[in-house]
Amino acid sequence: MATTVLHPAAPTYRSSLYDWVTTTDHKKIGILYIVNSFIFFFIGGILAMLVRSELAFPGLQIMSDQVYNEVFTMHATMMIFLFVIPMLAGFGNYVMPLQIGAPDMAFPRINALSFWMLPLGGFLILLGFLTGGTAAAGWTSYSPLAQDRPLGATGSGQDLWIVGLTLVGTSSILGAVNFLATIFKMRAPGMTLFRMPLLTWTVLVTAVLVLLATPVFTSAVIMLFIDRNLGGSFFDPANGGDAILYQNVFWFYSHPAVYVMILIAMGTVSEILPVFSRKPLFGYKAFVFATVAIGALGFSVWAHHMFTTGAVYLPFFSLMTFLIAVPTGVKFFNWIFTMWRGQIRVATPLLFAVGFLTMFLIGGINGAFSASVPVDFALHDTYFVVAHLHYVLFGGSVFGIMAGLYYWFPKMTGRMLNETLGKIQFVLMFVGFNMTFFPMHELGLSGMPRRIADYSSTAGWNDLNLVATIGGFTIAASMVPLLWNVFLSLRSGPIAGDDPWEGNTLEWATTSPPPPYNFDRLPEIRSERPVFDARYGPKAHGTAAAAPAEH
Amino acid sequence: MASPPRTGRFALQALVVGAILVVGVGLAIFGGFDLVGTGQRVVSSLFPPIAVTTEGAKIRDLYTIVFFIAVVIFFVVEGLILWTVLRYRRKPDDYELPPQTHGNAIAEIVWTVVPTLIVAFLFVISWQTLNTVEVVSANPDQKIQATAGQFQWTFSYLPADYDPNAKQRKEPLFTQIVAVGDDGGLVIPAGRTVKLYLESHDVIHAFYVPQFLFKRDVVPGRTNVFEFTVKPEDAGSTFRGQCAELCGFGHRLMLFDVHAYAPADFDAWLQKQIATANASPTPAPSGGAAGPSGAPPGGPAGPTLAVTALNIAFDPTALQAPADTPFKIDFDNKDPGTPHNVAIHEGSPTGPEVWKGEIFAGPAKKTYDVPPLKAGTYGFVCSVHPNMTGTLTVN
Repeated sequence: MATTVLHPAAPTYRSSLYDWVTTTDHKKIGILYIVNSFIFFFIGGILAMLVRSELAFPGLQIMSDQVYNEVFTMHATMMIFLFVIPMLAGFGNYVMPLQIGAPDMAFPRINALSFWMLPLGGFLILLGFLTGGTAAAGWTSYSPLAQDRPLGATGSGQDLWIVGLTLVGTSSILGAVNFLATIFKMRAPGMTLFRMPLLTWTVLVTAVLVLLATPVFTSAVIMLFIDRNLGGSFFDPANGGDAILYQNVFWFYSHPAVYVMILIAMGTVSEILPVFSRKPLFGYKAFVFATVAIGALGFSVWAHHMFTTGAVYLPFFSLMTFLIAVPTGVKFFNWIFTMWRGQIRVATPLLFAVGFLTMFLIGGINGAFSASVPVDFALHDTYFVVAHLHYVLFGGSVFGIMAGLYYWFPKMTGRMLNETLGKIQFVLMFVGFNMTFFPMHELGLSGMPRRIADYSSTAGWNDLNLVATIGGFTIAASMVPLLWNVFLSLRSGPIAGDDPWEGNTLEWATTSPPPPYNFDRLPEIRSERPVFDARYGPKAHGTAAAAPAEH
Repeated sequence: MASPPRTGRFALQALVVGAILVVGVGLAIFGGFDLVGTGQRVVSSLFPPIAVTTEGAKIRDLYTIVFFIAVVIFFVVEGLILWTVLRYRRKPDDYELPPQTHGNAIAEIVWTVVPTLIVAFLFVISWQTLNTVEVVSANPDQKIQATAGQFQWTFSYLPADYDPNAKQRKEPLFTQIVAVGDDGGLVIPAGRTVKLYLESHDVIHAFYVPQFLFKRDVVPGRTNVFEFTVKPEDAGSTFRGQCAELCGFGHRLMLFDVHAYAPADFDAWLQKQIATANASPTPAPSGGAAGPSGAPPGGPAGPTLAVTALNIAFDPTALQAPADTPFKIDFDNKDPGTPHNVAIHEGSPTGPEVWKGEIFAGPAKKTYDVPPLKAGTYGFVCSVHPNMTGTLTVN
């Protein structure tokens, strides 16, 4: 498929600019994904700091209501569509072909195309700041607020948001097709489906979700575009449309999108815990089935975002939402029992992976409150939901992303990151994260709605908002040791070698960074841990004490 | 950190220090190290407010059950994670591999079945509560329509035989157009069943009263309905309400008060409001009510300025008036169902208020008598829509 030209294995990040722009190498594209996502992460982070600054004290201090609406809309849009989703796609891009022993993705040029749509889409969305205002109707852009009408979304910002997200969505769809073709057609001999590493499994399930759901989202925003610009009336009740229809179509994508944002992070953690515990993943097949079950159930819960609309059948969506806790619980116990009786090396990737476990657990538990419909009547659209979604997307996805970054950075660059700086970053981020988002539970319970630029000083929300703002800036501060660490490492970090962590999966069987064609030779693939088998011999794979010796 | 066998002690110490920091900062901020008081405040802050409706009380009971199950799961699983990580750290002499356990079918079944039972229980009790909270009766004690618009609430008191699906809807008996304050807001009889019809004529809003533990979206194009009964013992209280669905730049301004009256007081209040509304039939053109500092009638008549409100904007946005002379404003509110007024503020629209005209819903006209103003620059603004502004030059 891919015409691989044999180059000497020079460190990829030393390539020329021309090479970066024209590359079709999945590893370079993966790095482009990751760097691009981090740029949008910092933009989204600055917007978050603006939000927290405005809310630190009662009264409007630094921006108007309209600008505030633009800022939190852009914060969520950047973080969801241009950071978390593409960041995890970047891991998939870089690591997955290596893990299955493939020389590249199935369609290298389409891979490059799907990446280059992202910066363009992000740029278009942000362009609104220069054209009189970005989209300001929230990242959900509910109709009729997002319609072109007085006090709605007049101006081009909302249209730029639609066009930008259409590009981002198309990028996701192309990427998903590419992932699926690569996984199904390009696995090395011996790499059966049930020997695939967990990261690859989560990439596979994520790609299926994206392929089924993203076209629905794209059609929703295009219909919104038609309503706004071409006289359509899909979603505007003033012209006979249906406002609830938009929410159904939007959440049919955007709930599965939550799993798009968490599954690959789960896969990353499932790679790290076995390696740093020196044990195989506990219950590999159960884990695979749980991943597939989460993906399947993910399509039947979208209306739990709409419990208060009075327009959905509540018991069904409540039941399905509760049920998703079951496969997620299975994963938790498998993760814990992977570490159980292991020999845990507390390095930075493991710290972030354990941070993922402890924080994502809270995101699961406080989600159960909203699954209970009557309780959701109290909590919906309050800061409790803001706390919940950040425990899932930050406590889950971002901690998983950081774990993966520290884990695969040596493979991508050939250099180690500094452990001390990594641990400083972890502590700052962990403390800041909980300071920011835990108080939001209490704010929401006491009645503070989302998406308000100001609150009364007598409402009793002053202290908790100030704590959250201090925590937010602590998270921002945790980026300093990260950036300094990356800078130091690229300049003069210790050489990593092929396999610095004693890894299990095939990416550790080649050089760091790998040559453009990935592998000079592959080890035999007889289990889901081929590199482990090559290191210790096949006998070490199971022990007499272990219950099912063979899968 | 270059020493080869990483024991990870630094990381663990850092983790512990981090946890202590979180707790310490939390304690310091909550209550200056008053441990008992702080503990109580922390625990009560993890619960919703005490419910003032019978429905809200059921939701709060359900919350309490969910909360205690959540707390148990939290401590068991977090404890398991932390204990595992601390207990099974790699020791410097760990050269042999640990037992390579691949899984255990019985364990997998146990931790599939037990969570299934827990969520099944949660689902059943949630459904039971839902069925009692969502009950809507045919003949409630009082029917009220809450109408949401950018960016205000109005509350219409409906006749007992009102039916939103009727071909010709019955006219409300009386409409409360000011949503906040002692003279405005949603006034309801404590101890009686109130059925609320929610209508929006622009975008989606949400009716939310934290002490009801309840909210319901107000969706244009459909009429959402729910019922509530404020407990009799809460008669005489006022509860804060707020729009909970982003509805534009004025979203945070969509506040309202709920006043719970004793039933007898409520009946008297409602009769009085209906009588007043009937006595002064819809805004008489000349009935311009002056604000708190109404102009003395019969003074030297100044000019009459014409102002129109359309699409939540004034036209024109610049006015001129003579100094030290009373004048009139002919105010034409062309926004159907949306209340507006004209209020004059010193210096700019956000300066101190010097005069305020009566708020009324469109389409209607009113003529305001404005008292004499000193020379200078003023801002005029709609009290309901702070982004509707203009400038008034007095010279």
